[in-house]
Amino acid sequence: MKKVVMYTLSTCPWCMRAKKYFREHDIPFEYIDYDKADEKTRRSIMEDCKSHGEEMSFPFVKIGDDVVVGYNPQKYSKLLES
Amino acid sequence: MDTEKRKQQLRTMFQRVIDPLGYKYSPDEELVDFLLEQEVMLEKEKGSPFCPCQGLTGEREHDMQLVCPCIPFHREHFDAMKRCWCGLYVHKDVDDPDDLPQISRKEFEQSRKKE
Amino acid sequence: MVSWVFAINENELADGEKKPLLLEGNAILLVRQEGNFYAMSNKCPHMGCPFSKGTLKGFIVKCPCHDWEFDIRNGEFLAASEIKDTVYGTKVSDGQVFVNMKGDL
Repeated sequence: MKKVVMYTLSTCPWCMRAKKYFREHDIPFEYIDYDKADEKTRRSIMEDCKSHGEEMSFPFVKIGDDVVVGYNPQKYSKLLES
Repeated sequence: MDTEKRKQQLRTMFQRVIDPLGYKYSPDEELVDFLLEQEVMLEKEKGSPFCPCQGLTGEREHDMQLVCPCIPFHREHFDAMKRCWCGLYVHKDVDDPDDLPQISRKEFEQSRKKE
Repeated sequence: MVSWVFAINENELADGEKKPLLLEGNAILLVRQEGNFYAMSNKCPHMGCPFSKGTLKGFIVKCPCHDWEFDIRNGEFLAASEIKDTVYGTKVSDGQVFVNMKGDL
């Protein structure tokens, strides 16, 4: 199964929905709340978003080598199936 | 200040800003209430009611463009989605906000190039 | 419509400067730029912060709170011209500056 890693904000309802989606589908995932992270982690998240040509808009969901920015269950399931 | 009271104040102030831009508060009342509450908390903690769904860098020029309502600084992107990133605001003609997926800035710019 | 209200004496404001005034209960920002006087509401349309505490560069005033920039000549927000601050007409007569509180330029 592809690895799922998410960058999230503790204040963002779409990040909560994304986490809920993966939980409900029994898909294991890791996440880091950008706003609660230490300076070093924040910087590495910033760099990672930038390296994908994206703004720091959350949720920032990495499924395997692919990235989905935003809450988009259809895209999540498509990438998990492929 | 009392959170409920501040939420109400922000709601009234921001209504005057979004109206001439063609936006209204999302019909999803629960979402609106939650987002405004986050903004009140962010204002208490960081001094401004920042977007609850976009990341601050600590660089003033960047972060000031994420103070709610941030529509003026992301106009074309948000207009294409008919909503702002966090979904607090939608275009005035939108009845069902759940039909509006988030499109990332990069996707938006790529789709624009294709046209 | 006109309702001229005395604001200041012409020599009280140097060119390139701004000044907050309270005229008939309204918070006004008076600016003198390139020899002309401009008046607009001193409250930012975003969250009501006073422009008088912000910065002035040419005809652009920047709000001190969130850096929203407005053109003092027409009140327009630079990032979205649909958002406008109220602007008032001004005139100078016998060394005195008047603001038209009925709003018309």
